[in-house]
Amino acid sequence: MIGGLFIYNHKGEVLISRVFRDDIGRNAVDAFRVNVIHARQQVRSPVTNIARTSFFHIRRSNIWLAAVTKQNVNAAMVFEFLNKMVEVMQSYFGKISEDNIKNNFVLIYEILDEILDFGYPQNTDTGILKTFITQQGIKSQTKEETSQITSQVTGQIGWRREGIKYRRNELFLDVLESVNLLMSPQGQVLSAHVAGRIVMKSYLSGMPECKFGINDKLLMESKGKSSLDEAGRGSDGFGSKSSKGTHFGGGKTSIAIDDCQFHQCVKLSKFETEHSISFIPPDGEYELMRYRTTKDISLPFRVIPLVREVGRHKMEVKVVVKSNFKPSLLAQKVEVRIPTPLNTSGVQVICMKGKAKYKASENAIVWKIKRMGGMKECQLSAEIELLNTSDKKKWTRPPISMNFEVPFAPSGFKVRYLKVFESKMNYSDHDVIKWVRYIGRSGLYETRC
Amino acid sequence: MPAVKGDGMRGLAVFISDIRNCKSKEAEIKRINKELANVRNKFKGDKTLDGYQKKKYVCKLLFIFLLGHDIDFGHMEAVNLLSSNKYTEKQIGYLFISVLVGASSDLMKLVIQAIKNDLCSRNPIHVNLALQCVANIGSRDMAETLCTDIPRLLVSGDTIDAVKQSAALTLLKLLRSSHDLIPMGEWTSRIVHLLNDQHMGVVTSAASLIEALVKKNPEEYRGCVSLAVSRLSRIVTSSYTDLQDYTYYFVPAPWLSVKLLRLLQNYPPPEDPSVRTRLSECLETILNKAQEPPKSKKVQHSNAKNAVLFEAINLIIHMDSDPNLLVRACNQLGQFLQHKETNLRYLALESMCLLATSEFSHEAVKKHQDTVITALKTERDVSVRQRAVDLLYAMCDRTNAEEIVGEMLEYLETADYSIREEMVLKVAILAEKYAIDYTWYVDVILNLIRIAGDYVSEEVWYRVIQIVINRDDVQGYAAKTVFEALQAPACHENMVKVGGYILGEFGNLIAGDPRSSPIVQFRLLHSKYHLCGPSTRGLLLSTYIKFVNLFPEIKPQIQEMLRSDNNLRNPDVELQQRAVEYLHLSSVASQDVLATVLEEMPPFPERESSILAKLKKKKPASIPEQSDQQKEHRLPAPQMGNSTTEQQPQQPAAVQVSVSTPSSTGSVDLLGMDTSPAPPSANTVPASSGFLVDVFDTLASSVPTATTTNGLDIDGLSAANNENFKKFITKNNGVLFENDLLQIGVKSEYRQNLARVGIFYGNKTSFQFTSFVSTLSTPGKLTSALSVQPKPVDQLVEGGAQVQQTFNIECVEEFTEAPLLNINYVYSGVLQKLNLKLPLFLNKFLEAAEMNSEAFFARWKALSLPNQECQKIFKAEFPIDVEQSKAKILSFGLSILQGIDPNPENFVSAGILHNRNQQIGCLVRLEPNLEVKMYRLTVRSTKDAVAQILANLLEGLF
Repeated sequence: MIGGLFIYNHKGEVLISRVFRDDIGRNAVDAFRVNVIHARQQVRSPVTNIARTSFFHIRRSNIWLAAVTKQNVNAAMVFEFLNKMVEVMQSYFGKISEDNIKNNFVLIYEILDEILDFGYPQNTDTGILKTFITQQGIKSQTKEETSQITSQVTGQIGWRREGIKYRRNELFLDVLESVNLLMSPQGQVLSAHVAGRIVMKSYLSGMPECKFGINDKLLMESKGKSSLDEAGRGSDGFGSKSSKGTHFGGGKTSIAIDDCQFHQCVKLSKFETEHSISFIPPDGEYELMRYRTTKDISLPFRVIPLVREVGRHKMEVKVVVKSNFKPSLLAQKVEVRIPTPLNTSGVQVICMKGKAKYKASENAIVWKIKRMGGMKECQLSAEIELLNTSDKKKWTRPPISMNFEVPFAPSGFKVRYLKVFESKMNYSDHDVIKWVRYIGRSGLYETRC
Repeated sequence: MPAVKGDGMRGLAVFISDIRNCKSKEAEIKRINKELANVRNKFKGDKTLDGYQKKKYVCKLLFIFLLGHDIDFGHMEAVNLLSSNKYTEKQIGYLFISVLVGASSDLMKLVIQAIKNDLCSRNPIHVNLALQCVANIGSRDMAETLCTDIPRLLVSGDTIDAVKQSAALTLLKLLRSSHDLIPMGEWTSRIVHLLNDQHMGVVTSAASLIEALVKKNPEEYRGCVSLAVSRLSRIVTSSYTDLQDYTYYFVPAPWLSVKLLRLLQNYPPPEDPSVRTRLSECLETILNKAQEPPKSKKVQHSNAKNAVLFEAINLIIHMDSDPNLLVRACNQLGQFLQHKETNLRYLALESMCLLATSEFSHEAVKKHQDTVITALKTERDVSVRQRAVDLLYAMCDRTNAEEIVGEMLEYLETADYSIREEMVLKVAILAEKYAIDYTWYVDVILNLIRIAGDYVSEEVWYRVIQIVINRDDVQGYAAKTVFEALQAPACHENMVKVGGYILGEFGNLIAGDPRSSPIVQFRLLHSKYHLCGPSTRGLLLSTYIKFVNLFPEIKPQIQEMLRSDNNLRNPDVELQQRAVEYLHLSSVASQDVLATVLEEMPPFPERESSILAKLKKKKPASIPEQSDQQKEHRLPAPQMGNSTTEQQPQQPAAVQVSVSTPSSTGSVDLLGMDTSPAPPSANTVPASSGFLVDVFDTLASSVPTATTTNGLDIDGLSAANNENFKKFITKNNGVLFENDLLQIGVKSEYRQNLARVGIFYGNKTSFQFTSFVSTLSTPGKLTSALSVQPKPVDQLVEGGAQVQQTFNIECVEEFTEAPLLNINYVYSGVLQKLNLKLPLFLNKFLEAAEMNSEAFFARWKALSLPNQECQKIFKAEFPIDVEQSKAKILSFGLSILQGIDPNPENFVSAGILHNRNQQIGCLVRLEPNLEVKMYRLTVRSTKDAVAQILANLLEGLF
């Protein structure tokens, strides 16, 4: 279990230090600073073993979070916890920065006390935490309130309190995907996968139970024809909106999800036996599900590089970007980053669309296109001047990377239905206003040149 | 932005402040990348940059490089800066070159050309910049190109002092990196005279250069001695106001003084009496000044003063000639022993260590014994304690050995772990070297094992066993002490080893006492058996089988123990084999066979103490060359034999005769000398077992018959001996004597001061000799000059047989006469007597020495006192032949040094004579005169009588 948790700034000064177990000494703080933060060679592994003590760290901008333990813990659990903790902190005071941490250190200790008990992670749900860790000074709660909080936190449905009422019952659902790609110069896909998240915001009264349908191959097949009509009914509620997000691949109706994980509110037993996703949603914003697919990904963009070295002092680069989705859709925030050699002494760039600029500080040409429709093609050509160097090392040609945002799910993921059942309150599935949105973003989207 | 001309470089300042303001490493890297791109853009080549801009960008690159980023361009621009006339631009150019351009770069040719130009410049500042750059890089190419320019600058009359100063230091750097390239011959005298320069700075830097030159070529720079002494005396006698800038906290020119004192340590004490007195006066003045009250309370003042003082003391120790100075130095150091400054205490102890080795100051050092012991006990710094241990070791002699060893033993219990092992070795050596009484020695070593068992190396306990075996008088005591020590509930494994070995050999000596009866001894040892490692168990098994021989009454118990599965089926193959073999041996062999097989171990041949060898190996520097008294151990005569053959005694645990131990690795070199891989069964052992067989045979056929007295060679020496005798001057083996009855052959080996002479007596008749006795007598002074350890020879010599007798002889000091060998035996009832000179000459202990002409002449001149030389002019006995003469000299034990004497006819040789207490250098010059068939022989040696003896011996050869 986690023996201690430290937060450092970029200089290695300790901002937050919390030790839960005796086997972690004070010198552990320094050990991490010396061996990781100030290490001569950048430490790339997120887990470092120093003197039989394991340090798990994550970095957010200039801030280092490190969990320390002497035991053989589940590393994935520790990182999950660290990320959750960052999330909690962000929801309390926004961006994770040195100043914010310094200004909120009392709060952070309070949170830490709540979410980590003797090194065992506890409830990290932001919504619940906010019910009893508030920033509004000391307000003594009535006995009733405290007992209510206690019963709720320790009860069966810890993530939702009772007696919630909304005038308008609303439901927002975002499918967020990030596409990762590595492509060879000839256009062969070397590796590609999509990591997706489903984030929901629910404003529903009472204790509703929801049922969620997706186009997962496994779920669809197992349900078979018996539930076909139910599926048909479900698509009524959603169909009109979701058809907009149907990806360009067209006819394919179901996708293969490699693995997925759910928010704690999802009833896993039902998922196992009935292959249906049903849950009582927490109030407010939460991440319902995460999934990953590797097959049949529709890549939104294709980059075709052409690099020619003309003598020792000159290099010509031509890059073509093709968009590969429905012409009716618009990609946004498209950015292509073309690395330049380290001995570049001057760059001339010409591009048809967008703006391209040589950024010396990053050793790259950055080409930005604000909007780009589907089935289009853009071209950039650059002339790079090189300076003679004493070093004979050849340039390693790092890959060209890309950033973008498209309004569909590249994996082909589709929401088939989301139904809300609330028996006690007087509203039905039809009264709930539901919104769904698909966003495909770039992860590491690289093409070798 | 308009460039700001002048001193400041605004762009650089802005860049640096940007970098300093960066919040994170990433931001810094971004800023640097941006700047690099900017500089690359500027250096693209199609733009012309003025000097200022070049300087600015080169500076930026330099700064980026110093931040730890690679810079792979801009070198050309930096080289361009070198040709600028502005100081700042040139300076930055040189800075960049020294920091960033490697010696192997292609640009080096250009750089060297620029340097060459600058060296010829009229502007001294440019010259100095160039010199600095050369000193910083100091590559081979530079040395090649500039090897004449820099010395010329150094000695030329019109260079200014500051340039001379730099030139001297630059030359020093080149000399260190590529010394073979700098021809200094023509400049010698002018460089030496730099010591007389008006400018102190020049003298200071020249002193460093001269010292480096002297180290390489002492003869050529001998002239610097008198100059250095006079310069030193001028500094020392000057008041601190005289030297203006070169007075450092009231100490006049401390750095120069230290350098001069160091310089003088490269030479023997000056011969010129006036220089010598002047130097002594200087040293005295320095010692006097140390007594004066400090002129300042600042630490710099005392540091500078003490630096000069310590260097002066080092010089005094180096000269080692003036007892008065040595004693004064010692007293001065004595004061420092209690100084509150740790460094001073350390240095004082270290210097005293050296002083203790000088014969003049040894006694004076001993006065501080108590202080040193207190230092050992109370000092907080472990390195100082370490020095205290060294000093105690160095100051120890026969008079204070007991006390010092006692104190060290006492301290050992609380000593720091890092110095324990060394202390253990030192205690062991001191105890052995100065043991008056061997019971004391045994006590000390056993205490040592008890207190610091883990740190007692194998050598130490091997040694104690060797000594106990070789000394009859301590065996009983040792057995008793060991027995008592073993009774402690927990004792160290080394103690068990010593105990097992000694009880196995000499347990019978204490078996009379019912408290240590055989069975008690056995039980005691066996109670430790299971706590020990395999090697100790093996040793204990050997002990048990020896018990079977010593105490037949406990044989059943031992057999039962051997029979137990724990031993008979031990997974360790060595233990198992021993158990099986011993068990079988004990049940099969008769008591007689057992007695023969398990006989007491024969005495060990003596050699240099292996402990000492180990200590030397461990800390080569910390054992000062204390004349030679350290190199040997002074044990009373009987066991101080010597053996030079590479003899490998068996592992102590192994039984004497052919109870084969399967482990060939188990044979331990007990004496710590490197042996050629000798066969596992050492040569003495089969020989002696062969003897036993002979003895049995002769006993069986008891023949003593009538005895008639034969004629005696009463006139002392037997005839036919004398001419044979002389040929052994150059030979080691051969027939010494022969008549109708007996042939005596000699086979001898020498190693430093040790000799091993084997005499072979061959019975030429077909009848046996009885009552065969041969002794070696050392008449008169010889008794003290040689220490002889004879091995007894068998009384019966069979007809046609040959027996061998070995004498281990050590040369204690020089001698002229040869020892006498007296042989008596009875042949067919008649007593025969023979008196022979044993062919043992002083030159046998010579070791050839090689040296170059400088070293030879330096030593030759040093040995110019009348009694150190012996010259002889004599007629050639044999025809003068170069090759033969060479062969004779070589076999005499001297080297032949070529190219030293200008006349190639002459022979020049050198050698080192080893005896117990010292090493005597000998130099020989033999000049043949072909016309008159005469030789002139000159021998010089460091010890008076030796030259005479060697000359006599050599004369007989030609």
